[in-house]
Amino acid sequence: MGYRVGVDIGGSFTDFAVFDEQAKTLRSLKVFSRPDQPGAEVIEGVKGLAERYNVPPEEIVYFTHGTTVGVNTVVQRKGLKLALFVTEHFRDVLELARLKIPNMYSLLSKRPAPLVTRDMVFGIPGRMLADASVAEPLDEIAVEAAARDAVAAGAEGVVISFLHAYRDGTQERQAKAIIERVAPGLPVFCSSETWPIVREYERTVTAVIGGYVQPRVSHYLGSLQQALKDVGVPADPRLTKSNGGIMTAEQGKQQCVQMILSGTASGVIGASYVAEMCGIERCMSLDIGGTTADVALIKDGTPQYGIGERIGDFQIFIPSVSVSSIGEGGGSIAWVDRLGVLKVGPESAGSRPGPACYGRGGTRATITDAFVATGLVGHSDLGYNAVHVDVEKARTAVGELAAKIDRSVEETAEAIINISISGMYSECSGLLSRFGVDPRDLSLLAFGGAGPMMACFLARELKMGEVVVPPTPGVLSALGGLIADLKNDFIRTLYLDVGPDAVPVLQQTFAELRKAALSWLKDDQGYGGPHELIYSAEMRYRGQSFELDASLDAAAIEEGRLDALVEAFHLAHERMYGHADRDAPVQLITARLVIVGKTEKPEFPKSELRPGPAKSDRSVEAFLDGGKRTLPLYRRADLLAGQSFSGPAIITQDDCTTVVPGGFNVTVDTFGNLRIVLGAAA
Amino acid sequence: MIIDKATLQVLANHCAAAAESMGYTLMRTAYSTFVKETEDFSCQLMNSRGATVASPMTMGATWYTGLDYGPVIRMFDDYREGDVYGTNDPYSGHVATHSPDMHLWAPVFHGGELVCFVGNHIHNTDVGGAVPASLSRTLTEVHQEGIRIPPTLLVRDGVMNEEMVRTLELNVRVPEQNRGDLNAQFACLKVGERKVHDIIERFGVEAFKAGLDQLLDYAEEQARSLVATIPDGDYEFADYADEDAANGYPARINLTVKVRGDTLLFDFTGTDPQLVSSLNMPTGGNPRHSLITVGLVYVLYTLDPTIILNSGTVRMLDAILPSGTVVNCEFPAAVGMRSLLSNVLQAVIVGAFTRALPDKLPASPGNGLSLVNVRTTTRGGRTIMASIGPVGGGAGGGPYEDGAEGSGANMSFLKNTPVEISESEIPIRIHKYGLVPDSGGAGLHRGGSALLMEFQLFAPQSMVTARNRDRSMISAWGVEGGQPGAQSTFTRNPYGPAPEELRNADIVPLQPGDTLRLIGPGAGGYGPAHERPIEKVVEDVRCGFVSVAKARAGYGVALNGDGSVDEAETAKLRKAMAASATTDHFSHGSGRVAFESVWTKARYALLTRILREVPVTWRFFVKHELFRVLEGRTAGRDGGTGELLAAYGDLAARFEDLPPASAFADGAVVPVAAE
Repeated sequence: MGYRVGVDIGGSFTDFAVFDEQAKTLRSLKVFSRPDQPGAEVIEGVKGLAERYNVPPEEIVYFTHGTTVGVNTVVQRKGLKLALFVTEHFRDVLELARLKIPNMYSLLSKRPAPLVTRDMVFGIPGRMLADASVAEPLDEIAVEAAARDAVAAGAEGVVISFLHAYRDGTQERQAKAIIERVAPGLPVFCSSETWPIVREYERTVTAVIGGYVQPRVSHYLGSLQQALKDVGVPADPRLTKSNGGIMTAEQGKQQCVQMILSGTASGVIGASYVAEMCGIERCMSLDIGGTTADVALIKDGTPQYGIGERIGDFQIFIPSVSVSSIGEGGGSIAWVDRLGVLKVGPESAGSRPGPACYGRGGTRATITDAFVATGLVGHSDLGYNAVHVDVEKARTAVGELAAKIDRSVEETAEAIINISISGMYSECSGLLSRFGVDPRDLSLLAFGGAGPMMACFLARELKMGEVVVPPTPGVLSALGGLIADLKNDFIRTLYLDVGPDAVPVLQQTFAELRKAALSWLKDDQGYGGPHELIYSAEMRYRGQSFELDASLDAAAIEEGRLDALVEAFHLAHERMYGHADRDAPVQLITARLVIVGKTEKPEFPKSELRPGPAKSDRSVEAFLDGGKRTLPLYRRADLLAGQSFSGPAIITQDDCTTVVPGGFNVTVDTFGNLRIVLGAAA
Repeated sequence: MIIDKATLQVLANHCAAAAESMGYTLMRTAYSTFVKETEDFSCQLMNSRGATVASPMTMGATWYTGLDYGPVIRMFDDYREGDVYGTNDPYSGHVATHSPDMHLWAPVFHGGELVCFVGNHIHNTDVGGAVPASLSRTLTEVHQEGIRIPPTLLVRDGVMNEEMVRTLELNVRVPEQNRGDLNAQFACLKVGERKVHDIIERFGVEAFKAGLDQLLDYAEEQARSLVATIPDGDYEFADYADEDAANGYPARINLTVKVRGDTLLFDFTGTDPQLVSSLNMPTGGNPRHSLITVGLVYVLYTLDPTIILNSGTVRMLDAILPSGTVVNCEFPAAVGMRSLLSNVLQAVIVGAFTRALPDKLPASPGNGLSLVNVRTTTRGGRTIMASIGPVGGGAGGGPYEDGAEGSGANMSFLKNTPVEISESEIPIRIHKYGLVPDSGGAGLHRGGSALLMEFQLFAPQSMVTARNRDRSMISAWGVEGGQPGAQSTFTRNPYGPAPEELRNADIVPLQPGDTLRLIGPGAGGYGPAHERPIEKVVEDVRCGFVSVAKARAGYGVALNGDGSVDEAETAKLRKAMAASATTDHFSHGSGRVAFESVWTKARYALLTRILREVPVTWRFFVKHELFRVLEGRTAGRDGGTGELLAAYGDLAARFEDLPPASAFADGAVVPVAAE
């Protein structure tokens, strides 16, 4: 018995979730992040846990960690100076990307500058074809010369990505060996080893991002390991991965590309767990922080996965928990255009200077300031007393806009809230249409510092039936790490026409993938518990330019039941697009295997439901839905399972404020979640 | 005003949400891969008169933000709840712009009252006609371009007009695709209708109806306030397509933008007569037709990317579109490949505005971006057709930065096909794909480089189509001292004993083993090249965008063998460049300079006068005859109108349907009045 600790290191705050295995209690803690000295916040947090909750470091038996260090390296462009070796005459793979330009209506829009400048891209003679035959052998002398030139030009690492290397990485490995000989110690990354998918840009950019962040991530993980050791934590840290699983820190140092979206994935895993715990079949998680507002779809406790997730200016093409940005978060700045129309965003005050009410030098009104100016937020300090709210500064900032549009401060503040909500509504609406999901079937699970503040407003616009606010919404990401399973993806690109000939290939491929997966789980992760294998294939109708991932039945593969495999694709196609063509030839592009080693989940204690009215702490004045009202303010810590009350109401707690407009009814469920339902009688 | 300015953006967001939801639904449920890949579709939330209020901004074609369904909507007067209407005829109401585009619209009712319309269009892969995919510039009449459905009721009381759909299916090559895409269009309209009801529930019906008009007014105000910042004046510019038909003569679009306060007038007098090819634009003379406004929308949005785009955006525009010209062709002119001249038109509009706002707008994009398709056979004998991607040029150098490389500006929406996918799907070997050094026009801000693709096919009876090829003669122009981009080229067997230059060919049959090399047009540069910071030129050389020779000749930067700068020589070169720098606003390539030495302004003005008086059916013939006769006859100082009049005189003497030359013999060339 001991303590399990999950940590989420964000841009502004670092959150800790501690699960006491004996008492079955969950506690949380927030400290300022220390981007200047990564690892320092972990030490501070571990010390804080000891002081505040009497958690001795030596009894921390499990330590997981979600981090944004990978994403930040890309966003801030502070990664390695890389050289890229590509097939001769195809040097512009990064420069051209997929050709499309971000802003289609602006004549001046450009693709983001690649992470490797063109002078550092080296064309290497040697050519493999789509059938893996070698049309031209690798020019080893050219590789050697390019390696010397790259080093002379200051390359700190090399990424190799040759055409059709997803078929066979021999030429890439050959080149890697030469570079390692010419420049010992220089990190070299092969696209076929990073993530062997077809499509040269997607594979190359994925390998480049992986290489780009590698030294920073690896250095960071090294210092984290050391820091934990120094404070006496015996657990070997684990990392959350983009795919929502975890792996050892040691492995993270090698496979940085797997943990780039570590931070965002953790939050969604935490949300998925809460959703499953509450028996919510379909929900959308809403994570709003100071600079981001993200949503993810969760069905039956499993988040939606995708490839092509966005990282700063780029996309990365490894399987990841699918998270979509719907705005710039509580720091979005409000402004008035030259025709007197009030607008919000996309400019953000970020975490520095942040909203005016933080008193850190911000003077322009943000969404958070608008909430403060209405009186809905600001009745207690934010972030465990880390931020003191200055109401007057918020009112002054909003007041400047109010003067321009000739409305009262409160009316203007409410208009800012409405505009920001409608912007998020618009983004969600498009997203849900893209996946063919009806928002009325979804619950909205709110977390992050600003999620609970805005969730009911958004749910109202989307006509979602329910909003769920977990007990510690600020630390759901940290919690996610505690819950995540060991998980890894294995793929092989086959590019087969599906027919009888394909069966033995598929059987053999999956046998090999299975062997690799089991070895990963047992040998690399040192795991001996029960595991699950999930088979799927990315398929398409011949002529289509995109694939769909169809789950496959292991028995059908084993028994070579071709019909069942193809039907799985037709069904997936029908589900996603509303139609299937059972006469059309089908191609199987990629075979995929996911292995999951279940970790022990913390069990959350249930409290006995004692139905009855909740007791408010006091009344406050706030402007809501067009007028000034007196609202009851509840302290989250006072609310007991089974209690209920009606909106309008405000609920404050250490890490956030939940705002409930009129028409909603709130009940506290057995786990302490706020279940906020529109319309139903209390 | 029912919706105040503190709330207008909320309504705008809800309308945008409706449009985006429609767009995603259409893209998701579309049957044909073509729609999913090229995103050649649009969706509109309209007011009750058919003016577009909102359309998706992140997907779909960029041309239809201000589409006005009014002309086709007004053809019916008994709208009922659940109705869906459609047409693909470019000549019925001038909403569809060529026959593959199937436009649908549906009324939305609330409490028995028609409150607005929703609409959409999909580019069908094929609608029958003379050639597969229904598009070729060789077609001469709209009748060859596939089945045309006049504005028609398609669904009433939940019942589909099956007769109409069967007729459509009977006339097209892959009927299940058209049927599947039609279903996606219906699904999209349903989503639009539902979203409208949500908005009404949120805002109330009166506020919704008034709000739609307010959003149009708001967009109008935004655009007018932008136009008001443009100095009053007349800004003239012309640009050309290399060929007005297969192996034809250049086709000219001439525009004078008249800025008066917060209004604009586009006068297209001087634009070429309609063509006996399919490059014509069927605008019906509507000054705010979507094909006319595309370029303006690009300009306004570039000036201020925070504006909303809808039908109100272009209300300040009026236009003179002389009938029987390429910008307003008369039935039954073929229109299938109107995209080629539409691209030229966009460049003309941008060009005219650069005269007014030289510090805000870029030089010419490469344009002439061709969509390359391959038809060949596999070893097993299966015929296979596939798109191997667009090959064009970059964006023009801008006032602040270099142009985008390889694509951009008005060609931003296209995606390429990965080499690995093409080589896996088709028996093809792609030898080269990338950017072309020295192709972007030199300038303070360099024009975007052109794309190159070189490939080889191996089966007999293989065929390559390269739609929209252009600019192999007339380059993308530079501005403010920036140099023109390089011309495009199209070469068969470039390394063989007899390379063959295919210029603007758009259909090329290949023998087994033949290699084709396509190079797109480079974009124009912005500002004087000798003012480009030396370190940027050095970086361009290091990165391979610019050669050592071009750095010297084009930028006045002399480099030593080790890549370092020869400071003294550079100073000398740059001084000489500064001394001989052009003061012209535009810089044109050799192709255009040579062409305009024959076809001077004076001759073109006379030609325009003559063609105006010639019957529409004669115009193309007369133009070609006169071009043929004057070929290579450089005009003298007087502008050369005498020779042209004489040539016309000879022609008129032969054909009595033509007015006599004496009608134009009043010596002085006066500007032609608008029709």
